Amino acid sequence: MDDGSTDSDPVTAGESSILDTLGEDVIRIVSPVSLCMLLVVLLVSSLSSTNDLSSSVSSLFLSSTTTPTSFSSLNLLLLGSDSTWEEIKSALVTALSFVVVVTLLTFLLVLLFYFRCTNFLRIYMGISSLFVLSFLGGFIFLLLISHFKIPIDPFTFAILLFNLSVVGVFAVFMPKFPISMNQGYLVAIGVLTAYWFTMLPEWTTWALLIAMSLYDLAAVLLPIGPLRLLVELAMSRNEEIPALVYEARPVDPQPGDRVRVWRERTDVRIEATENSTNSANVQTVQETRLAVSEEITAPLIEAFPQTGDRHLGTEEVEDGIGLGSSGAIKLGLGDFIFYSVLVGRAAMYDYMTVYACYLAIMAGLGVTLLLLAVYRKALPALPVSIMLGVVFYLLTRVLLEVFVVQCSSNLLMF
Amino acid sequence: MTVAAGVGYVLIALGPALSLFASVIAKKPFLILTLLSSTLFWLISLIILAGAWRAFLPVKSTELWPYSILILTSVGFQEGIRIGFWRLFKKMEDMLNAFADRVSKPRLFLTDKMLLALAGGLGHGLAHAVFFCLSLLTPAFGPATFYVDKCPSIPFFLISAIIALGFVIIHTFSMVIAFNGYTEGKRKDQIFVPFAHLIAALITLINLVPGGCNIGLPLLCIMAGTTLYYSWQLVWRRLTEHQTTRSSD
Repeated sequence: MDDGSTDSDPVTAGESSILDTLGEDVIRIVSPVSLCMLLVVLLVSSLSSTNDLSSSVSSLFLSSTTTPTSFSSLNLLLLGSDSTWEEIKSALVTALSFVVVVTLLTFLLVLLFYFRCTNFLRIYMGISSLFVLSFLGGFIFLLLISHFKIPIDPFTFAILLFNLSVVGVFAVFMPKFPISMNQGYLVAIGVLTAYWFTMLPEWTTWALLIAMSLYDLAAVLLPIGPLRLLVELAMSRNEEIPALVYEARPVDPQPGDRVRVWRERTDVRIEATENSTNSANVQTVQETRLAVSEEITAPLIEAFPQTGDRHLGTEEVEDGIGLGSSGAIKLGLGDFIFYSVLVGRAAMYDYMTVYACYLAIMAGLGVTLLLLAVYRKALPALPVSIMLGVVFYLLTRVLLEVFVVQCSSNLLMF
Repeated sequence: MTVAAGVGYVLIALGPALSLFASVIAKKPFLILTLLSSTLFWLISLIILAGAWRAFLPVKSTELWPYSILILTSVGFQEGIRIGFWRLFKKMEDMLNAFADRVSKPRLFLTDKMLLALAGGLGHGLAHAVFFCLSLLTPAFGPATFYVDKCPSIPFFLISAIIALGFVIIHTFSMVIAFNGYTEGKRKDQIFVPFAHLIAALITLINLVPGGCNIGLPLLCIMAGTTLYYSWQLVWRRLTEHQTTRSSD
């Protein structure tokens, strides 16, 4: 029946409904991920060569309207005429070796963190971000300049590149930098690294994505997994890990400092303090549980701040998702990179796969966030999204494309 | 036909959707999430349909009946899914109301529920425009254009953009009508939505006849206008009824 007479018109009553602010946190993490994917798709589609061997929907569509397409030619087009057993084998070997190298490096990181060499780690992070921004960024800018024939002289280019890289390194690692610049530069690093990964051959990219998502699952959830060890170490010491992590905080300045501190979830003394949820005065290392004030903006994940475990991943290849010290969601930069690699590789086929994979990745991210709200511990953000993305890519390429092309070329739509 | 033409086609298909998004939906984050999930829903239903029809494609005949079966099954399936979507919507509404009680905020207003229906419908329309129109627009950004044999007077991209525009409007507002109809239990609204969808899809069958698109396109736009008008009347009636019940307290 109707809602009853207890409802009041929001405009006249001046009240706001819960619909106004619900889901804000999720959107704040969805927007940068979408932006990163969009930039990678634009880069891929503008810089990729047009003589790609794999067929696209448009060429399929054009051929289907002029000549009847037989199933064999369709199969040939779909599988690609150069997918031999050797290519698959080399792809598997490459992916496996990459995973092995990442595992070893992560264990090395855990070891260094255990021996409290945090300064060394920070310097290493800074150098690697500088490398990504200056070398990869410079390389991609050069590609763009030559493709679009932008008139620019070497000196301007060098000065611009130098400035952007140095500011980027500072933005990512200095704690008092404006959060919007920090977020912007993290997205830029993600875009550059993801574009570089899409330059790998096709089978290698897919094998790498699947291998990394399996590795992520193992490294975060298994008791001997390096990432889990790292998380537990940092938690037990109440320190922060030097890492590249995107923190989805709002751009307005917070009264407290952006210190990432660990909190034990289990032994918590319930002390309702006067503090609002935003003043993260967490220099004092006590395990208090701040009471949720009568915040109108109750987050979608009703996580009481300062209680959820936060998972900060490793070096550049960050994986994992967790809750930040101000209740904001944190997503490792590695997740950004691998989502964008998947979408970029889908863009090399056609835009229909891009849309399908984008929706699949968003669905996977939503599922992971739900699980995060339920389990309240560090979770791997890669597996669900990548698996859904791969499944949707295959389904679109095999099933959807033919159907849609068949309908649209006859101007039949529903 | 150059980037300008490509962007133009995109805007023809998605113009009203973008303005709806920017003015209504972007302001409330939850509606953006609803939009994304309903787009995903529509995509999954389309993939299931494509899977079911895969063995029979490509249809080589130029007769009408295979295509009409295709249309009938597809529309029937999607309308059936709409009821499932409405059940999910009811569950979500209950969860939202429970959450509102827990944080001591008012429950969902009538306008909220209609906004949710609008976001759901826009998600469906957006999915339609993206998969049936936008994903085929890639050649339009190049230097040439393309004409279908059956419709030599209008470029193919323009036809698909106009059809996508019609269907965006139909999907968006028929979701509002359908949710209101299911909530109130009014038979007339419940029957209108599948009917309108079916008629619109059958109108596109006219495009199979050579030269038929000259008739099919205006008819589709009339159908979209009818759906828009019907939904406008329904929402107006519902809101004024609601006002009078509220002011009579």
